[in-house]
Amino acid sequence: MNNEVVIKCENISKTFPTADGTAFDVIADFSIEVNKNEFVVLIGPGQCGKTTLINIIAGLEEATSGIVTVGGELVTEPDPKIGVVYQETNLFPWLTVMGNVEFGPKAQGESKASRQERAQKYIDLVGLTGFENQHPNKLSGGMQQRVGIARVYTNEPLVLLLDEPFGHLDAQTRYLMEEELEKIWRQERRTVLFVTNNLEEAIFLADRIVLMTNCPSTVKQEYIIDLPRPRDITSREFLKIREEISKNLDLTS
Amino acid sequence: MATSNNIKKKKTKPAIISEDQITKKQSTLYAFISFAVVVVLWQLAVLFLPNFGNIFPGPYDVVALMIKIVKEPVGRLTLFAHLGWTLKRIFIGYIIGAVIGVITGLAMGTSKLANAIISPVFEILRPIPAIAWVPMAILWFGLGEASKYFIIGFSTFVICALNSIAGARATSEKLKGAARMLGASERQLFSKIILPSSVPQIFAGLQISLSASCSTILAAEMVRSEEGAGWLILRGMNTGNMTLVLVGLIVISVTGLILATVMRAIERKAISWSFRGK
Repeated sequence: MNNEVVIKCENISKTFPTADGTAFDVIADFSIEVNKNEFVVLIGPGQCGKTTLINIIAGLEEATSGIVTVGGELVTEPDPKIGVVYQETNLFPWLTVMGNVEFGPKAQGESKASRQERAQKYIDLVGLTGFENQHPNKLSGGMQQRVGIARVYTNEPLVLLLDEPFGHLDAQTRYLMEEELEKIWRQERRTVLFVTNNLEEAIFLADRIVLMTNCPSTVKQEYIIDLPRPRDITSREFLKIREEISKNLDLTS
Repeated sequence: MATSNNIKKKKTKPAIISEDQITKKQSTLYAFISFAVVVVLWQLAVLFLPNFGNIFPGPYDVVALMIKIVKEPVGRLTLFAHLGWTLKRIFIGYIIGAVIGVITGLAMGTSKLANAIISPVFEILRPIPAIAWVPMAILWFGLGEASKYFIIGFSTFVICALNSIAGARATSEKLKGAARMLGASERQLFSKIILPSSVPQIFAGLQISLSASCSTILAAEMVRSEEGAGWLILRGMNTGNMTLVLVGLIVISVTGLILATVMRAIERKAISWSFRGK
């Protein structure tokens, strides 16, 4: 395993002022390191700081205190080297699938032939061949998420942040998408930080699971998952890990 | 790929047809029926209500007059020439007002600085009805066409600006964030996110202001003119010819219908991705 640290969060805290004048701590003293090409899954109770944390690492929100570096550089604003896949997809509805996927390199002035060749490669990889000229409103939820993944991959970021990308999908589609994402990641290794509140999803995908506490969020425990890929969610080893972690998981909140 | 094919099949078949959905054929039929009922009731009222015909000429008289003035001029011009003048005036005034309105609105909705500078003036101008500008327009632009374009353009300007402001301000922060994440610059944020996402709202403004500009044509043609639908109405009023007034009304209505249809077609092309484009 390559041990070069790509994402580094040091003592991140985030406090929101509330209406009655008191402060509400969402994240407290959160530290994590993600190595190159490692797939790390953050799992924790719903509604507590996970999206905020992703936004801070993506440079979309500022931490109250603490430092985030990606590839050795301090994160202060959104940067194409930090790619994000959102739960609500955030596709541009006026652009076609191709328009969405080539958006990043196009904005950065890459030539049409070169960017579209790469966009096509990732459209094919996520299984959307033939849908290049469709608008997002014509696609199902799962397909929209595929576009979101292809869009981020085409922009060739150093790291991928996925914020509960399959949270809105039905159970069947969710399984399918987890399998596809894992397959894509094995073909195109990237440094990934994936947020979820679904333990099964976490164990299926992760090299390492970081368990978060209830509000204010901080690291509770880490688990290295060294099951061979692709994983079988019904195998005895899988279920054993699942049982072990779930004892430690406080999902009620 | 097998999975995407399956999904595609499912998508092309609408799962549930809602009850109030009607086909295009039905829609045309209903439109025809409702139109016919109005005309028949109108004609019946003229035939059977005493004196009604004197204050409200019947459809037969109106159509007869229209057919007559297709060949014989009223004033200087025949019916279609009047229609053409009205169409041209609304079109030019509307385009000028719309372009300035959309640009002003987008600037105000996007830039706090532009908003701080423009909005005091805009808020003062905004409540003024277009017709109130008639004396000023004559003073500034004379009695010719320019003053008419100004009056029509003004009402268009206000509505288009208001809608463009709303459109630009309603741009999703999340989409802006996504664009920045993908490497878009501040300028690209405007051209690639704010502008396209405002388009549905801009078209809403263009449609509403089209009606408004049709309604100001009367004011515009009160500024000395010898042609157009507004003039037909004024002429009818001055000579006590109510049939001619109704012909003028119909000409305005047809003008509005032509322009709205054209605008709707452009809109459908431009924003097929949006709910308004359907």
